[in-house]
Amino acid sequence: MSVGEHLRIEVRRDRDRTVLALHGELDLLAAPQLQREIERCEGNPADTLVLDLDDVRFIDSAGLRVILAAHQRAGERGGRMALTPGPEQVQRLLSIAGVGDRLQTIASPDALLV
Amino acid sequence: MARVIREGEPVLLEEMSSELLQSFAQGSVHAQFMIEHEYRSAIVAPLIARGRTLGALSALRLGAGKAYGEEELELFCELALRAALAIDNARLYSDLRRVEQRLEAVLASVAEAITVIDGEGRTIFANQAAADLLGYATPAEVTSAPPGSIMSRFLVLDEHGRELDLEQMPARRLLASGEQPEPLLVRNIVRATGEERWLIVRSAPIADPEAEGVRYAVNVFEDITDVKRAQLTESFMAEASRVLASSMDYDDTLQRIARLAVPRIADWCVVDLLDEQGQIRRVAVHHSDPRKLELARALDSGYRPRLDEPLGVPEVIRSGETRIYTDIPAQALAAYAQDSEHLRLLSEIGATSVVIVPMIGATGAVGAITLVSAESLRRLTSADLGLAERLGRRAGTAVENARLYTERSRIAHTLQQALLPSSLPQVPMAEVQARYRAAGELNEVGGDFYDVFEHDEDSWMLVIGDVCGKGPRAAGVTALARHTLRAASMSGQGPAEMLQTLHLALLRQPPDADLCTVCLVQAQPAREGLRLVVALAGHPPPLLIGVDGETVALGKPGTLLGVLDPIHITERRAELHVGETLLLYTDGVPEAGHAQEGLGEEGLRELCRAGRTLSLEGLLELIEWTALERARGSLRDDLALLALRARAGAKIEIG
Repeated sequence: MSVGEHLRIEVRRDRDRTVLALHGELDLLAAPQLQREIERCEGNPADTLVLDLDDVRFIDSAGLRVILAAHQRAGERGGRMALTPGPEQVQRLLSIAGVGDRLQTIASPDALLV
Repeated sequence: MARVIREGEPVLLEEMSSELLQSFAQGSVHAQFMIEHEYRSAIVAPLIARGRTLGALSALRLGAGKAYGEEELELFCELALRAALAIDNARLYSDLRRVEQRLEAVLASVAEAITVIDGEGRTIFANQAAADLLGYATPAEVTSAPPGSIMSRFLVLDEHGRELDLEQMPARRLLASGEQPEPLLVRNIVRATGEERWLIVRSAPIADPEAEGVRYAVNVFEDITDVKRAQLTESFMAEASRVLASSMDYDDTLQRIARLAVPRIADWCVVDLLDEQGQIRRVAVHHSDPRKLELARALDSGYRPRLDEPLGVPEVIRSGETRIYTDIPAQALAAYAQDSEHLRLLSEIGATSVVIVPMIGATGAVGAITLVSAESLRRLTSADLGLAERLGRRAGTAVENARLYTERSRIAHTLQQALLPSSLPQVPMAEVQARYRAAGELNEVGGDFYDVFEHDEDSWMLVIGDVCGKGPRAAGVTALARHTLRAASMSGQGPAEMLQTLHLALLRQPPDADLCTVCLVQAQPAREGLRLVVALAGHPPPLLIGVDGETVALGKPGTLLGVLDPIHITERRAELHVGETLLLYTDGVPEAGHAQEGLGEEGLRELCRAGRTLSLEGLLELIEWTALERARGSLRDDLALLALRARAGAKIEIG
């Protein structure tokens, strides 16, 4: 677990996935922290990365950029990345950014990946 | 004789018979000798001084003379007593000399200055260290100085700079009250030379054996000048560093530094800066007496130093080297003065010593700090150079940093202006207004941008966008976005196509390029109002504000640019009737303020309702200030607002 100024990231490894549960605000200040945490998880290329956004109170374009970059890299190495839908503000931002349908969304971090 | 010594009593032998002589003879030869020489009468008296028997004194009468009697015994005992005292005194004296010599040797070898003061205030003893400390050649000169004359050679101050008099010194208090005083920390300044010493003065009593009370006071002076200076230097530097780091306004911080230095380091502190034109500018002058400051003002207005002058501040700035003047003779001052008025002002300041240190930054001297001692007696010496030079370096770095910062914010401001249109074009049948506010520090170029330009013969293009990130990199992407969109427009592309073009341009940027969101609105003046085409690429939809204040979000969300490929962009058509307003904004507007207190999209819509009767400028102002208020003055993202209001006007014939 790493603790930032206002973002807390819980890392949990399951058999087929690594789950990063984000708590707090994912903005310009917190984005590098998520970036580092994701890079640490990318050591195992076959792994699936799940971002649990249910407790993200705020996300901005800097936070989105980190998520999109991780999504791109997962595609490039043949891995997968999925998100939980998160609260309304997160959903709205993903929808405005026009990326909601491009990222795989799962109902809960442990849900089956298809 | 042995008995007399043993018993301490005199013996009178009036007539010594041969039997008696034989009884105490030490052998027959001795007995024969005494008989032959006619030993007749003897007195043996003990030599007793201060209760101790030192030996015995004997007198002998030979032959036929008168035998000793009681009278002679008495006389002889008196003689023995005096002799014993004399012998004992001589021994005591030599013992005392030995003790004294030993004690003096010990006292001479201790580093602490030690003096002994008697009840009349006379110094009856001083070791060499004391003589050195008090400015005398030998201890004898100290002990022959009249009472009070030693103290008058010094200005004695307490830790807070208050002058102390003789009666406050521990030895005086000890002699006056008999009570052991606390050790006293004093700052001693030699009146003649201005030399400064920090001393701890302790006094111990020597009791009077004959009367109650204290007969002598022993003074021990511990010289802690080095320790105290180091401590003062550290605390001064800590405070100065805090002041210098407190603000980027270096004129203000240097004035505070000057106030900090007076009177702790010097009587005057002057700070001069070399400006970009190579002129020396006086930034700060401080003296604790405001009347004295008038002198400084007169000097600065009439005799401001020029960089090419051979001495003083200009020379230090040119050479980057410290100068110290520990003695300023009148003729040197006269030679330095430019005219008689200059000399008069300089003389009135009455400097006794001056230190000028350069303020050094990475690129060389940016100015100089001048420390002057005048009426306080304390002279600046080479011991003050360490502190002064450190202060010069710290202040130089601070000034340089502040200048770089100002320069950077100026560049950032210029760059920002280059990224935004300098003025908005006239759009027929419409009014256009924009607002922009960059978040955070002055020297960061924001990532938001907007633009309005003529798209083709009968339509205008409104652009608002957000490049994620800040600083030079984001500025580069912002410039790319703005110019690519203008170029695409000129080549006759429609809004969706223009966004595709920008997307491709962004994909050709180095990897990990900042993502970009854009909202494009093509506005075509029509018979009643304007016809709109809206295309969104990851950007919040623009709001159409009705005359009644009701809002509708226009457009269909499309993919943001530069990351995911391909992107999906959809054009949507809408009408802007007379009196209606189209508001384009960046996400910094609804996101101003923290999650719970943020304005939010709903809050923005409410503001639009509330401000429906305002002028377009008034509406944007309301939104901007409300967002700022929610952010408590500290935006976490830039704000950009671009608005178009359709107005009734001369009908335009289209086509």
